[in-house]
Amino acid sequence: MTTRREFIQTMGATGAMLAGFTACGGGGSGSSGGGGTTPTPTPTPSLPILVIVDIDGGWDWLNVTPPNAGTNLGVYQAKRATLGITDPALLTDLGSGMALNKDFTGMDALHALGRVAWIPGIGMPNPNLSHFTSIDLWGQGATVPAGTGWLGRYADTAFSPTGDVLRGLTVTADLPVMLKGATRSFVSITSAGGYVFPSYLLSTSAVPDAATLETGWGTALAASSTDPGYLAGAQAGKLFFDAQNNAAFGTGGSLTARTPTVPYPGDATYPVQKLNGTALTTSLSSQFKLIAQMIAAGLPPQVYFARLSGWDTHSNEAVDLPNLQRALGGSIKAFHDDLATITTSAGNAQDRVMILAYSEFGRRVQENNGGTDHGTAGLSFCVGKSVKGGLYGGYPDLTSLDSNGNMKYTADFRSLYATVLDRWLGQATATTDSLLGSTYPRLGFL
Amino acid sequence: MADLTPITTWTVADVQHFARRAGFGLNPADAATLQAQAPGIAIDAWIDGTGTAYDPTTFTAALATADVVAEPLVGANTAVAGSVDVAAVAAPHAFLAQGADTWRNNLNTAQALLAWRMQHNPHAFEERLALFWHNLFATGWHKVDNTALMLKQIQLFRSQGLAKFDDLLVLVSKDPAMAIWLDSVLNNAAGTNIPNENYAREVMELYSLGADNGYNQTDITQLARALSGWSFTFAEADYILNPASPNQKYAADARFKVYDGTAIAPDTRVWWGGAATVSSNLHATGSITLFSQTLDVTTTANGWAKGENAIRSIISVKGSNCAQFLAKRLLTHFVTAGYSAQDQIDVATLIQGAAFDLRVVLKTLLKSQYFFSAANRYALVEGPVSWLVRAARMLCPSLASASGQTPKGYPAWRLVTNSATTFDQMGMKLLDPTGPNGWKEHTAWLNSNTMRYRTKAAAALALNETRSYNGTTYPLFPTFVTTDWFPTAPASAQAVYDRLAALLQPGPVPAGVSAAWLAALWPTTFTWDAASQTKTRELAFLILCSPAGQLY
Repeated sequence: MTTRREFIQTMGATGAMLAGFTACGGGGSGSSGGGGTTPTPTPTPSLPILVIVDIDGGWDWLNVTPPNAGTNLGVYQAKRATLGITDPALLTDLGSGMALNKDFTGMDALHALGRVAWIPGIGMPNPNLSHFTSIDLWGQGATVPAGTGWLGRYADTAFSPTGDVLRGLTVTADLPVMLKGATRSFVSITSAGGYVFPSYLLSTSAVPDAATLETGWGTALAASSTDPGYLAGAQAGKLFFDAQNNAAFGTGGSLTARTPTVPYPGDATYPVQKLNGTALTTSLSSQFKLIAQMIAAGLPPQVYFARLSGWDTHSNEAVDLPNLQRALGGSIKAFHDDLATITTSAGNAQDRVMILAYSEFGRRVQENNGGTDHGTAGLSFCVGKSVKGGLYGGYPDLTSLDSNGNMKYTADFRSLYATVLDRWLGQATATTDSLLGSTYPRLGFL
Repeated sequence: MADLTPITTWTVADVQHFARRAGFGLNPADAATLQAQAPGIAIDAWIDGTGTAYDPTTFTAALATADVVAEPLVGANTAVAGSVDVAAVAAPHAFLAQGADTWRNNLNTAQALLAWRMQHNPHAFEERLALFWHNLFATGWHKVDNTALMLKQIQLFRSQGLAKFDDLLVLVSKDPAMAIWLDSVLNNAAGTNIPNENYAREVMELYSLGADNGYNQTDITQLARALSGWSFTFAEADYILNPASPNQKYAADARFKVYDGTAIAPDTRVWWGGAATVSSNLHATGSITLFSQTLDVTTTANGWAKGENAIRSIISVKGSNCAQFLAKRLLTHFVTAGYSAQDQIDVATLIQGAAFDLRVVLKTLLKSQYFFSAANRYALVEGPVSWLVRAARMLCPSLASASGQTPKGYPAWRLVTNSATTFDQMGMKLLDPTGPNGWKEHTAWLNSNTMRYRTKAAAALALNETRSYNGTTYPLFPTFVTTDWFPTAPASAQAVYDRLAALLQPGPVPAGVSAAWLAALWPTTFTWDAASQTKTRELAFLILCSPAGQLY
């Protein structure tokens, strides 16, 4: 891997830049950290919320935050002759030889506020170019198969063995391995209505004998068994059964309705469209709106999981990647702004929420005909008022690629997890190390 | 180790285990009929589809000529592409997803077609096999954007799903839907162009070898060169336009073609719809090195397409790895997820010994002592689509009965797949998996959301949910308790349970659970009246929703 010293040489950085690099405090322009007042992060809230965003498919972050100086720029221009984003008019300079693609809607504004921690070059030893292997490794928080996810193990440790059914929640219909524990898993809720048992498929008919059905199903779910399939059904059913009993799900299993206070991508009044001028529809907007509604309704999740798919840009990248960036960045910015208007007894939602975005890998530096194939090191980022904005880890050295032409990682993905477990979810250092199976250096953004 | 010697006798319970795994279940009467035959003969016929029991005549006639999805229930707007206003279309309607109706391109209609076929095809194995291959060669409509080409791929699985695996793999690699799905149509390695390695990677990782099992990154880029230009063309008559929006056109059929700059006659259209007489030239020249062997990517020896030798070398050179991979997938779908390493080796040995002849492999596996062993009974969680189809086979009228009713006594699959996106929320968006890895099976089918939607689907089926449309009320799943479910009136609550359990065939239900259900539903005396028949529906619902009801 690239050492810190090699990285500094590559970037032509100075000691002062290094200081800015580990905790540069944001600032929108250049490596100096900006000319204005350095924003001060707010203290970590007493009831923090973590929102995970899965950038699914392996995003070409090299075109999202491309190099704009030094030897990296030369390599990038050569290997991205068609797809590369090099026109300064299309970029915001982040300093340290890294720029921000203006198609990543709203992220420049969040960066200027000092609320984005960028971790370019995040990855793992012995990276795997398979989506599915990489997704499993990122989910497990381990480079060998573990069967459970890092947040699932957190649930095993931190959640009440018999309660806390809504403490970890995904708004996706599936349950990613990241959220599976040995004894606990996250609940999956994909809509704000009809969350009640028993309910009809189309909710147009009355249930004949709801009380008997509830009792009967509860009896079945509580029965003991050693069969893995039976247990899976009982645990999944019981999670739903208990979760829908929360008082926040009112008549018909519906949460209190909420109108977002800002336009989200896809809304009629949202100012940014797709490249072709059509509405910037994206499922991520809907997922964020649902999470905001859940927070406003007083549901207790501490960790939420959301996903935006479609980043596997083997082809048609010149169209798909700008649209995806607009959807992702625009949704994050809208969500962050929307949260400011939500205050519950637990506090203001914008103060409480930190977003953590990750992808299973980055893509090959050398483009193919119209797209990019699977690569290695990625870009993760965290967004929130408590985040110390800036760049962490190190931009990969594009003059020193591996034998397949892929980037070498500069920060271990488990350093990100360790930082979040310690400093956002409040785990003791020893607990974090135990959950991740080893001790990883913490990053300085919290 | 897996004892792959065949069973020589079988019980009704054995028959039902076989029918659940190799089809979509058999009711007690049909299971008893099959049990009267020797297992070897019966299983051969089941797999081959030979004999009167599997005669498709009635099925084919119903499929071709009936309003098989109660389509008038579907609110539709003929101005909207893809909507299906059947009332405005002259009968026969069938499913309006292929041929001249390709322009409708409605995923839910195509899903309904598959569900209906699974429910009613007398040769159930054909549909079960297609479902298996659809998961293995997972291809998604959201990118292919063409129901006709998706259904063409499913038909390939029906017709070639028991061929030799190397032949099947070649045919899948040439399949138009697949060519769109994993970018083969954009893979250009002519001259100094850098190939798109999407398909080359996934064909080894997901479709034949397994991740990191016998290949490396160099093999991927080399195979991508061999398969460059693998695409398709189609005939003018198969370019189907939307009458309401003539700019929208869809290929109703297509033909494999290597884009090497040669004539495309008799076709007139290239893959994206452009008119042409010759294809563009995307195919690499020269040789590649794959698995340390040198292959000429321009040869057409053996009647193979240019580059086909590379696909075939996956099996001819990496046969052991491929057999291990296939064994794992066959075991997980048909037998158990709890197989041992030796079991996998034994099945892989079978596969290699049979020279990848899938008919031999499946017949051997599905007749084996291993398949029928007690440990593998109810050892799997059933996928949601076959789970619902199997319940519908048990509780809804037979094809002969349903086709004679007015309106037809078929489930309104089109509504089940559309209005409630049921398959999607149950975790299996049929014809449209999220990625090329398909769906994880067994316990991965179950989470709090998929269980929630299984209970909703179970309610629709067991509790007789209806939907009103234009003043008429239709059942989503027509069911008849006093005729189909109980042709003989039950004398006790226990008799109700026993009959429902014989139909729905849940895994072992803890004794305390079934007793508690009966005590709650019939706390005092039992009389077979309307109230009891409603309670019977509730009991069916509970069996279907219970943890044991997810096993098969």
